[in-house]
Amino acid sequence: MKHEQAKKYGMVIDLDKCTGCGACMVACMAENNIPFKKDETNKLDSITWMRVYQLTNGKPFPNTDICYIPRPCMHCEGDHGHSPCVSVCPATATDYSLKTGIVSQIYTRCFGCRYCMAACPYHARYFNWWDPVWPDGMEKYLNPDVSPRMRGVVEKCSFCFHRYQLAMNKAFLEGRRELEEAQYQTACAQACPAGAIVFGDLNNTKHRVHRIVQPDPAHGGRPKNPKAFRLLERLGTNPKVYYLSSREWVRRLADHYLPNETPGKGH
Amino acid sequence: MDDALIPKGVKRCPLPEFLMKLGPVVALLLWGVVAMFMCWIKGLNQTNMNDSYGFALWIWADLTVIALGGGAFFTGLLRYIIGKDKLKEILNFAVLIGFICYSSALLILAIDIGQPLRGWFIFWHANVHSMLTEVAFCLTCYFGVLTIEYLPLVLENRQIDRVPFFHNLSHNMHEIMPVFAATGAFLSFFHQGSLGGVAGVLFARPFAYREGIFIWPWTFFLFTWSAAAYGPCFTIMLAKITEKITGKRLVKDDVYALLAKIAGWMMATYVVAKIVDTWYWATVTAPSKGQTLMDFYSNNPFYGIWILILEIGVGGVIPAAILITRKGRRTPFLLVTAVVLGVVGVCVNRWAMVLQVMAVPVLPFEGWPMYYPSWQEVATTLLPVAYGILLVAFSYRYLPVFPQEPELNPIVTEAREPAESEATGGAGDAEMKPAEA
Amino acid sequence: MKMDRRSFLSFVIGGAAGTALSPLPWKLTDDLAIWSQNWPWTPVPERGEVSFVKTTCMLCPGGCGVTVRKVGDRAVKIEGTKGHPVNDGGICILGLSGLQLLYGPARVPSPLRRAGERGQNRWEKLSWDEALSLVAERLAGLREKKLPHTVACISGTDTGTVPRLMERFLAAYGSPNFIRTPSMRDSYEMTLHLMQGVQASAGFDVEHADFILSFGSGILEGWGSPVRMFRAHSKWKETGVKVVQIEPRLSNTAAKSDKWIPVNPGSEGILALGLARVIVEESLYRKAFIDTYTSGLEAWTREVLGRWTPENVEQATGVDKSTLVALARSFAGARRPLAICGRGRGDTPGSIGEFMAVHALNALVGNINRKGGVWAVPDPDYIQWPEVETDAVAAAGLQQGRIDGAGSKKYIHARHLLHRLPEIVDASDPSVVQALFVLEANPYYTLPDRDLLKKAWKKIPFIVSFSSFMDETARNADLILPNPMYLERYEDVPYARGFNKPLIGLAKPVTAPQFNTLPTGDVLIRLARALGDPVAGAFPWENYEQCLSETLQDMWEPLQETGYQVASDFEPGSGSGAFDTASGKFEFNPEKAREAAAHVSVQARGEAPGYPLILIPSDSMRRATGYIGDPPFVVKTVPETVLKGNDLLVEINPETAKALGLSEGKRAVLKTPKGQARVRVHLFHGVAPGVVAMPTGLGHQAYDAYLAGKGVNFNDLIAAVEDGASGLNAAWGIRAKLSRA
Ligand SMILES: Nc1nc2c(c(=O)[nH]1)N[C@H]1C(S)=C(S)[C@@H](COP(=O)(O)OP(=O)(O)OC[C@H]3O[C@@H](n4cnc5c(=O)[nH]c(N)nc54)[C@H](O)[C@@H]3O)O[C@H]1N2
Ligand SMILES: Nc1nc2c(c(=O)[nH]1)N[C@H]1C(S)=C(S)[C@@H](COP(=O)(O)OP(=O)(O)OC[C@H]3O[C@@H](n4cnc5c(=O)[nH]c(N)nc54)[C@H](O)[C@@H]3O)O[C@H]1N2
Ligand code: SF4
Ligand code: SF4
Ligand code: SF4
Ligand code: SF4
Ligand code: SF4
Repeated sequence: MKHEQAKKYGMVIDLDKCTGCGACMVACMAENNIPFKKDETNKLDSITWMRVYQLTNGKPFPNTDICYIPRPCMHCEGDHGHSPCVSVCPATATDYSLKTGIVSQIYTRCFGCRYCMAACPYHARYFNWWDPVWPDGMEKYLNPDVSPRMRGVVEKCSFCFHRYQLAMNKAFLEGRRELEEAQYQTACAQACPAGAIVFGDLNNTKHRVHRIVQPDPAHGGRPKNPKAFRLLERLGTNPKVYYLSSREWVRRLADHYLPNETPGKGH
Repeated sequence: MDDALIPKGVKRCPLPEFLMKLGPVVALLLWGVVAMFMCWIKGLNQTNMNDSYGFALWIWADLTVIALGGGAFFTGLLRYIIGKDKLKEILNFAVLIGFICYSSALLILAIDIGQPLRGWFIFWHANVHSMLTEVAFCLTCYFGVLTIEYLPLVLENRQIDRVPFFHNLSHNMHEIMPVFAATGAFLSFFHQGSLGGVAGVLFARPFAYREGIFIWPWTFFLFTWSAAAYGPCFTIMLAKITEKITGKRLVKDDVYALLAKIAGWMMATYVVAKIVDTWYWATVTAPSKGQTLMDFYSNNPFYGIWILILEIGVGGVIPAAILITRKGRRTPFLLVTAVVLGVVGVCVNRWAMVLQVMAVPVLPFEGWPMYYPSWQEVATTLLPVAYGILLVAFSYRYLPVFPQEPELNPIVTEAREPAESEATGGAGDAEMKPAEA
Repeated sequence: MKMDRRSFLSFVIGGAAGTALSPLPWKLTDDLAIWSQNWPWTPVPERGEVSFVKTTCMLCPGGCGVTVRKVGDRAVKIEGTKGHPVNDGGICILGLSGLQLLYGPARVPSPLRRAGERGQNRWEKLSWDEALSLVAERLAGLREKKLPHTVACISGTDTGTVPRLMERFLAAYGSPNFIRTPSMRDSYEMTLHLMQGVQASAGFDVEHADFILSFGSGILEGWGSPVRMFRAHSKWKETGVKVVQIEPRLSNTAAKSDKWIPVNPGSEGILALGLARVIVEESLYRKAFIDTYTSGLEAWTREVLGRWTPENVEQATGVDKSTLVALARSFAGARRPLAICGRGRGDTPGSIGEFMAVHALNALVGNINRKGGVWAVPDPDYIQWPEVETDAVAAAGLQQGRIDGAGSKKYIHARHLLHRLPEIVDASDPSVVQALFVLEANPYYTLPDRDLLKKAWKKIPFIVSFSSFMDETARNADLILPNPMYLERYEDVPYARGFNKPLIGLAKPVTAPQFNTLPTGDVLIRLARALGDPVAGAFPWENYEQCLSETLQDMWEPLQETGYQVASDFEPGSGSGAFDTASGKFEFNPEKAREAAAHVSVQARGEAPGYPLILIPSDSMRRATGYIGDPPFVVKTVPETVLKGNDLLVEINPETAKALGLSEGKRAVLKTPKGQARVRVHLFHGVAPGVVAMPTGLGHQAYDAYLAGKGVNFNDLIAAVEDGASGLNAAWGIRAKLSRA
């Protein structure tokens, strides 16, 4: 039956369009009640579910080039839901949903062993080293759809799962079984002023993500679009976040290659 | 003052002197306890760990002490199952060291987790796919076994032993000890292996990932194997240190030699396996992910290829070569050198499997994050050392840890027994003062 | 009972076993875990009814429509308004963070009077009545002394009812000194005035251009209306529109462009003239447009372009001849090419020679008031208030001429020259400014040459800030009369920088005021009443809301509904009627242009031997540079290559670093003729050797603990350089020296 077809939510981020502005980072912080501290310059303890990295081609002036690459959680499917982080969690505090393809995180279950962080090659997981503290009065803007996390647990991008739940509730009340593409959008995709982030169901041929990426189910979702690629695809993480770039050097920086290999051919 | 508690047939220094000497150790312990409570009350922000170094110094210490504590299960296995009876002379000590190592490991885990009050979720909400789940279950069970193995020794204290109930209990426990030794060996096989698996299953971390046999990553076997090989080295090393500190011979040389011989052969085979593993990983696994061996050992200020040489060459091949030769293990200097190098080798191995795994950049556009521990981490990591010294000291003082001690140090003559083999003489000892830290 | 050893041990062991078998420890363990999941110090956001309010963002001149999601009476998220003509659902990093400002610790809680020395940040609260009578008394006193013209106001903008009420208040009171803060808007206005004879703002039909030639404009750094520019940029990518970025540093815009042409800093205007010369010489211009609608090309070519042969241009700009010629050809060959200027975000006006040269390029390709071109967008005309009636005192005050000299003979075309104020005040005794109002501006942070500014500041006896936030200016004022934030008040926003259609946005209260604030419109009405006629007569309204609704007339209702009104069918008209010059045509204005071209590239301050390097600013969307300081979320996104702890990193080329013996992250002292700062260096190949690029927007001393004390304020190290032709500040950088610390 149609409505039972499993969804596989994913993203494609156009790096040619991405300006590095950081709005996606802040949209995510605002939507998901992400805390902040007085000094956030040590990026190794700064919680940013969405992080925009700067890449450089390393060439000297004036042949230098830079590119930005936003990195949410990749919601890795691995091999049939065997995502790097999910299988290692001893307390089943993170899970791969075969219904939506979303890797969840239960903050009240997590006991902070950080094994999942060691397993994630994308540094998409963040530990709450501190108690979250909002200056007096500022807790007023907190979003009730997402619970603030306590110190000592791991958190990460959820593909704004609460928005999925709200959309499903609405759909249910209105007697619909299917979600239209626009009915469930993540905060970062919605905010991106450049329209660089496209979010939707990779299994749904009507959704833009599917049409742009053209995932190949026979080869672990590998994109058929030659401009599209994933980060560290060779590790077998099978991520659901894809990128587009017209620049060869950018595509090469997405994975490791031996000197004699070229992207797209080395595997 | 405490004469009544001291085992028969041995001599101990006066209590005040004993307590005074332990003063610095107690200070170290208190420092560690303060740091421990800071981590519990204020949280893990007291450490220098970060999102790249989610595992750091004390997890290394954790893995290391478990490897070193492997002397207990392996010696038990040799004595009760394989029937190397001679090893009973050092088994008490091996069990004591194992008990210290495992209780320390559990303590470290309790400090390490971000939500210690929910630590038990690992049992309640267990995920059977996780190596850590297996580690937690086996570790806890095996700690139980070690406690059972250690208990008879405690019950043998002169005063406790006078209570008939405890006397009988102790006796009966000795009777069924082979069952526990077998259980312990079985549990150890799995949790030592799962600890190896902790890193080995990280398929998205090419430095850690070692493909495997069936469902087990290679590191599963390597860790068990290395614990069996290096654990006894640690037992020997600590026994030697205890001898040095007490100024007495406590274990006969033939006991040492037997244990060293077995450890040597374990080590030799392990090193071969480890080299094969490294070779396969460097030539097949890593290149299949687009990386070369030197990607993991260059472009950073610390993690050089020297680590691999230190681990496999200096800490593996050399001690194995010494211990498998009769001359090597019979020459006290060489024996001590070999066990120390072995301990270094296994420490470096666990270091690489924890710290270097974290340091190696996986995203091609990232650099190596560097990490140094905070004082709270150092103190918390030294806490088990202090606790271990105290437990050894008290056990040694009040419990018959070394069955051969009265024989080797007859109390009547008060004179040191002439050395059995001339090399035990003072000159050699003074030259190679074992690391006392 | 006698307790022997045996029974004691049994008791202890039995007790332990019994406890372990009882439910107590298990219950306790469970309770502790549950407690850890509900720590009372981790907030639990309250639920409530969800609603949405459409309003207008006022955090920058971008004019975006935003929709605020509310839960109960709490505002929980700001999102872009779908279908809004400027941003259509998109939103920028700063706009997203508005609620951190609304509920943040930088808010001014009530009217405050200085308690300690200025800048000490010691305050006493007072009631609005007290505060207003304090100001009224002061103003009445100055008027009595016939000194109404010594009252000045610095305002972030001059459009919309609130700035206009302020201007009106000053006029009725007797002061011509309403001064808008400087930006490229000044130079674009002047350009349109000089070449097209109109009083208008420049709008750019970026969505329809098919070739973008940008002279250092930070299209992706906040130039124009940021979200709109981002959207246009993405559209260009989709449709293959070429973008050429001329800029000394590899900015984000440069990196995303199809071609980045690094030029010698400050020489962009010369490049524009060089391109014009190639276009004219090769007859690549649109003859039909030139012949019909323009005048003075011939004279302009002769007198202005003459000098700028490709060889000379190459020498001055560092761009080689062949690149220049190829660029001229591709620009002129495009169907709807568009040339734009204003460096970075456009915070500094720049030289008029440069703006006229770039605008002339648009004229050469006929792209004035056409699809895909530069449009003259008339200032909105909905504010129709009766003329102010002045008394003799006011009339005499207004006769005095502006303190900043704008409009005087020397600065005839300039409307606002704020950068001149510090020098003038510093040189006068007693100060020519006796009372200063600051409205939605933060001159104490944004004005260059802050040493001079601080000296001048001390001479001004009475400073009133209307800021909602404890910004640098408020902190160094004598009295703060806090305005509610844009999310708590009504205000019209008739402007979206660079947008090419007349547009009015409405900001409206999303939540009740969080603090004891009073809208500045109301403050002015009440002050006027307190001063009595004739000032009071100019303010016939009951309150500001009434003023606004009456002013907006039939737009008031629809604006409440949609949040904006746009003249979507607006056409600037490209025929003769569009140019209000003497000739009725677009004027290359050779006379003014010659003077302007003589100053097309102003010299950076400082001399080479002592200051061997050139310091230029670098802008980023992640660092607000204007009146608003970065909220915590935005600070959080500043990368570690810009800020490390509290240290600012400046960018230098690895070659420069090598010559100076510096390596990544090393501390250094950066010195300019205007000041010095301790910094660290970040090695970046995208900046030319010999150039130091300094991130702007940092070095705040006020706002909150999440921003204050981080980095260095670029304005501490630079000073204005007056453009000889316009009087505007044309500084684009300054000479500098970097040495190891
Ligand atoms: N992040 C996050 N995760 C959560 C929660 C949260 O608050 N936040 N809440 C948790 C809680 S409390 C719950 S209960 C779970 C709910 O999680 P799920 O049980 O996954 O709930 P639904 O998403 O409602 O999915 C129910 C499915 O049943 C289908 N369905 C509806 N009616 C019928 C029917 O009559 N017959 C059949 N066969 N199918 C039907 C729907 O179409 C839908 O596909 O989520 C949990 N997960
Ligand atoms: N429309 C709609 N209604 C539903 C459902 C649905 O799918 N749609 N699902 C139904 C189901 S299955 C369920 S279980 C219920 C759930 O209904 P509720 O129990 O109301 O669950 P939530 O709304 O998920 O969360 C309740 C509150 O708990 C806060 N909270 C989160 N974490 C913590 C914490 O650690 N400590 C404390 N003290 N508070 C915390 C959240 O911020 C939130 O305010 O809803 C039912 N009602
Ligand atoms: S908001 Fe969009 S353009 Fe900005 S950094 Fe994120 S993805 Fe890139
Ligand atoms: S990106 Fe990391 S956290 Fe996210 S699913 Fe993959 S491994 Fe897990
Ligand atoms: S930190 Fe939490 S989510 Fe991660 S593995 Fe441990 S318990 Fe699971
Ligand atoms: S999908 Fe949602 S949770 Fe993930 S990065 Fe985007 S905004 Fe954040
Ligand atoms: S661009 Fe300006 S107006 Fe638009 S959302 Fe950002 S700050 Fe607000």
